[in-house]
Amino acid sequence: MRDEAVTITNQTESSLRIVGFLCNWCSYGGADTAGVCRFRQPPLLRIIRIPCTGRMDPMFVVKALIQGVDGVLVSGCHPKDCHYAVGNFYARRRLELVGRFLPFIGIDPRRFRYTWVSASEGQRWQQVVTEFSALIAALGPNPGFSAHVR
Amino acid sequence: MNTLQSIVASVWDQVDMVLGWQPGYDPLHPVPAFVRDPKDIASLIWNPLCAPNLSVYLAKSFKAPTRGEKKIGILAKGCDSRSLTALIQEGLVDRNRLLIIGLPCPGTVDPDALTSVRTQSGPITDVSFADGMVQLTATDGVERVPLDQVLARRCQRCRHPHPVLYDVLLEEVVPRPVPKDPFAHVKALENQPLEARKAFWLRELERCLRCYACRNACPLCVCQDQCLAESRTPKWVTQKDTVADKFLFHMIHTLHLAGRCTECGECERVCPMKIPIGLLKEKTAHIAMDLWGYESGTDPAAQPPLLSYDASVNGL
Amino acid sequence: MAMKSASFVSSADLSGLLVRLAEKAELWVPAPEDTAPHRVTFRPFQAGMDLDGHRLPVTSPKKLLFPQGEELLRFRTGRSSSEAAMETVLLEESADPRPTIVFGCRPCDARGFVVFDRAFLQGPFVDPYYKARRDKNLVVSMVCPGPDAACFCGAVGSHPADTQGSDVQMIPVSEGYVLHALTEKGQELVRHLENAPSQAQEQEARHVWESARRSVENVVSLMDSAPHFRKRFADAAFWRLHTERCLSCGVCTFLCPTCYCFTITDETDGVQGQRLRSWDACMFHHFTQEASGHNPRPTKAERFRNRVGHKFSYFAEKHGHPACCGCGRCLRHCPVAMDIRAIVRAMGETEDVHA
Repeated sequence: MRDEAVTITNQTESSLRIVGFLCNWCSYGGADTAGVCRFRQPPLLRIIRIPCTGRMDPMFVVKALIQGVDGVLVSGCHPKDCHYAVGNFYARRRLELVGRFLPFIGIDPRRFRYTWVSASEGQRWQQVVTEFSALIAALGPNPGFSAHVR
Repeated sequence: MNTLQSIVASVWDQVDMVLGWQPGYDPLHPVPAFVRDPKDIASLIWNPLCAPNLSVYLAKSFKAPTRGEKKIGILAKGCDSRSLTALIQEGLVDRNRLLIIGLPCPGTVDPDALTSVRTQSGPITDVSFADGMVQLTATDGVERVPLDQVLARRCQRCRHPHPVLYDVLLEEVVPRPVPKDPFAHVKALENQPLEARKAFWLRELERCLRCYACRNACPLCVCQDQCLAESRTPKWVTQKDTVADKFLFHMIHTLHLAGRCTECGECERVCPMKIPIGLLKEKTAHIAMDLWGYESGTDPAAQPPLLSYDASVNGL
Repeated sequence: MAMKSASFVSSADLSGLLVRLAEKAELWVPAPEDTAPHRVTFRPFQAGMDLDGHRLPVTSPKKLLFPQGEELLRFRTGRSSSEAAMETVLLEESADPRPTIVFGCRPCDARGFVVFDRAFLQGPFVDPYYKARRDKNLVVSMVCPGPDAACFCGAVGSHPADTQGSDVQMIPVSEGYVLHALTEKGQELVRHLENAPSQAQEQEARHVWESARRSVENVVSLMDSAPHFRKRFADAAFWRLHTERCLSCGVCTFLCPTCYCFTITDETDGVQGQRLRSWDACMFHHFTQEASGHNPRPTKAERFRNRVGHKFSYFAEKHGHPACCGCGRCLRHCPVAMDIRAIVRAMGETEDVHA
């Protein structure tokens, strides 16, 4: 895949933030693998390690976006490969639902993405992060939910 | 012909108590009644003003106490019967403990719609219903308005006016026609651009008081006394009076009901500020239908989709 | 009803007056919500706003003097520049409030401020935040046409033409409003209005005032309920029976013009934060939740009993009138129409007292 650095020159872009919820076993390992192999990615992502995507509460996604985070990325083990057997099956349902719910409250659903990346898929991790970061950069900052002035 | 009183009297020996409605402080506000003495059966009423969902008294910390081992009788409109079914689905209520008196429902009245449609202005002294009309007797005269003109929003879109679960049924009424598009209000909002939708919710939720009437009136919000929205450890929502905090509360409420809500509309009815929060839950119910073909509170044996999973690779 | 100064404002001139008042102070008026026209609330006036004089507002004007979330102070932690290990805390008291005017509330709403004044201004400790707002606040109330099915101001020592709590009283007459100043602050406002009322207008105003007052003459009083409450306190079955349909939400307390309970929390965001006073409700389950886990009011029966007791016994005995203005909001907007009047009456009426 593309190995060149993604340079962030724009002041606004460099202050964009994506929160990533990565499962400890597969995706966090995959991100580690990407690091070990020195695959370069844009620096927008801030990772929170969770034991399993089954830990994902849809409220994590909603609260982050309401508070003004520019993007939320969730990544876990591939279905049928969950370290806890069924955690990601539950996650799949919750995350699909919340993703479809976001536009109803006026949040751009493209700011949320969930995916499956295994521990050995360093290159795929680089691709996911690069693509999602480019998408968020194109969408620009998330205006958040400030008080509406009458 | 079976009247309400005769049906309740006929099942009285099977129950410890009957949950129903009785007249309140004025003709427009019947209130929940807890009948434990047979001589109080006469006070029970049933008309389109009997809006409160009685299943709220079954599963929460303040569930209505009973003395003995017999059943709890409960009057249930179509929407109420869905709430009962959802409580049974989640094991919050024992089906065998209930004696459900089903009430085919013509719809309930929105008191505000009544106030705006009527031409007289004097205080209302009596309300009666016949032939699809609401007859209002006020100090300055009598007038009749069509029931269809003053229905609550939740009733305009109701898909189950006939109870889905019951042990005994009050006399059949002509069922309300099922609306062509029960999710028309949701779609109307979705047809607007993204920014307009956000502006809509910011405007509507700004007047929220966080009184939690919506949460407490919801039959399925059984954890209301330990609600996440009021937790300080961890702290999800602050005490600040900002629209962002109000929004967060409603997101918690809505998402905790996703795949569970039976669209009974109590949340919207009890809101003192008339915020259309029912729309949020209708959207999650619509998603549940789209993704899993699931309709909460219609089959007591069905498993709610978010409490289970699909184990196939490409499933959902 | 002897007045020091009076004025007349025609219906046509009212909006002009409001615009002028809004230039000098934050002016709050009852107006229908844009997207929920059946709900009238107290809000900052904006030119073109449609004032509603027909329907009782769903919220009370107490937010003006008692904000739902009030910053008491701000803080910021940092590192001491002289001693490396020491943490510093910078405290900043909240800014001086602006002058405010409540315009067009009912006498019951104004009477709510009387209860607040007793709680926050009397006694050994004066609440400085409330006092700062109250000193700069003016209340202009409007005589009310009379009670609806939920109102009961007559039962708590008030009436639809009550002047308690108001600085100026407006009386609607055929061509506009007669304004009577009731306090020095009220005189300040009325003095600057050009037109004096004619004799005919004053006569009409007196007639409107009298018939408003008489509209609640035959209401059964709930003023002396404290002894009944004391006798009924331990009757657990009574309270369970009468509170059975309550949902234990906070509608009654949050809409009530006289409810003043609050909680204080620190809301931090990294190294900075604010100490906030915010509305609390004795009807909430966790209101008396203790750190040990014990809750002395674990069920809604105890909580509702406390609500009745506070309003009609504890406060009433201390201050000579109930902490209730009879506006009826608690009844009108309760999801299950809990009727505090009926419960207070029943305390004294029911013969047997169950243990």
